[in-house]
Amino acid sequence: MDKTLVILLESAVIGALIGFGASAGVARMFHAPKVQGMGAFRTLGELNACENDPVAHFSFGLGFFFNAWASAVGTGALTADVDHRIVPHWAAALSMSRNRNLAQTLHNPRRMAFVGSGVGLVLVTVLNTTAASIPHSLQKVAADVLGPASEWLINPVMPIVFWMAAVDAGRRTGGWGTVLGGLAHVVMGNAVPGIVLGIVVGKALDDLGRTRMTRILAGAVIALFVVSALLRGVDLQLLQQMKVHVPHWLDHIHHVTGTTPEKS
Amino acid sequence: MASDTGAGTEPGAAGTSRNGLFRLFGRRTAPADSTAPGEGGFWLSEWAFPLFVAALASGIFAGTHLYYVYHTGTFSDVAVTAILKAGMDSGSYGAAAAFGAGFLFARVIEGPMVGILDIGGSLQTGVGIGIPAMLLASGVQAPLRHFWLALPTGALLGFAIGCVILAVRRATVNSPGNTSTFGADVMMGAGNSAGRYLGPLVIIAAATASLPVGLGSTLGAALFYWWKKPLTGGAILGAMVAGLFFPIAGK
Repeated sequence: MDKTLVILLESAVIGALIGFGASAGVARMFHAPKVQGMGAFRTLGELNACENDPVAHFSFGLGFFFNAWASAVGTGALTADVDHRIVPHWAAALSMSRNRNLAQTLHNPRRMAFVGSGVGLVLVTVLNTTAASIPHSLQKVAADVLGPASEWLINPVMPIVFWMAAVDAGRRTGGWGTVLGGLAHVVMGNAVPGIVLGIVVGKALDDLGRTRMTRILAGAVIALFVVSALLRGVDLQLLQQMKVHVPHWLDHIHHVTGTTPEKS
Repeated sequence: MASDTGAGTEPGAAGTSRNGLFRLFGRRTAPADSTAPGEGGFWLSEWAFPLFVAALASGIFAGTHLYYVYHTGTFSDVAVTAILKAGMDSGSYGAAAAFGAGFLFARVIEGPMVGILDIGGSLQTGVGIGIPAMLLASGVQAPLRHFWLALPTGALLGFAIGCVILAVRRATVNSPGNTSTFGADVMMGAGNSAGRYLGPLVIIAAATASLPVGLGSTLGAALFYWWKKPLTGGAILGAMVAGLFFPIAGK
């Protein structure tokens, strides 16, 4: 079968699926915390910021559509904004075009899910199939501009934003956030997961004290760090960089499981 | 089954009920035909959640399949995708696996406690990057090579994640005597402000790449800001337009 046709058909299925799930999850966010929603806090804030106006929702999504398009052209990554921003906002705009009642449109998972799967179907297909037909000079701009910018956002900008939020939220979240954040960058290559876990653990300790639940939470976090460290072979690197002899059995375990770190 | 304790007070006014006054999810099995759409029915029920996660995760995993085979289609940002690409080029997937698994775990713990599962960390990075990296690291390529395998694999993963979240939710937030929000407010503030940094970063990157592109990006951002649109979009469009007329010198 023709390659473009395969991409087109697969993209249509993928788009319908993500549109369905993401839009239903976003509508459920408005019923959180009583109902478990899915999306992001920033998505919730941005949807509220558009104040129930279809045009505002549409143009907000449009800005990020160009962003996603440029990124798909340059690198093949559709960006996280497809699920976070474009699909929810365009689904909201469409379902609101005739009926402004929030309870029946944006806050209604059924309606959002069906409108969203339509939006997703068209959007993902367009993004994936038109990417190849873009002039080379544009691809170069996308790769050279968006690449570094989003790399900086993930590291170090996002870690710093979360880090400062943790530090400002109190001494316990700040302490846990700092320790787990630093460790997370060593172990996982990015500090954000560690800081998020630090905030959760710190706040739980603040509000609940040392209960069985907070102990389980802390135990799970420590287990995650140990497993991640082994996966990336951080233990080997650490011993090498401290000029300590690596025990033969440890080297062997990593060799057998295929987790020996790359030589840098 | 037919008696709904919440709506029993005034059945006639059900169509106008707002903001979940009668939000008793997961108790009624009858289709929601009389109340405000979805309220109390399947769409807001607890057990519908894993199904929605499954649909989204299935699409995201299949998107990574598309990227693996045709080099387009991941639902992650450029920098995150680059981590997976580094693995695909070198064959060493440890970095991508640890990065994705770390985000997945953190968001699965955070999600049920604050009531909102962050799909960026959990599904896009976790299911879209971390789990494929783990599969590839252990030599399992089939789910990423074949579309018809990618869909059910992703759906299964998503369903499992949804169930884990509901289980954690039962054990923590919905447990009797819980008084903690687990930092939902802190995370909300940080998540909101992180997105705002992208615009300026784009302009800086554009000006580093070449001078005309930098000027175009600045102009675009300023115009969008003037028109009260998110300035990120303007910065990107400006850079693209300038790059079209004054291509960046290639290596």
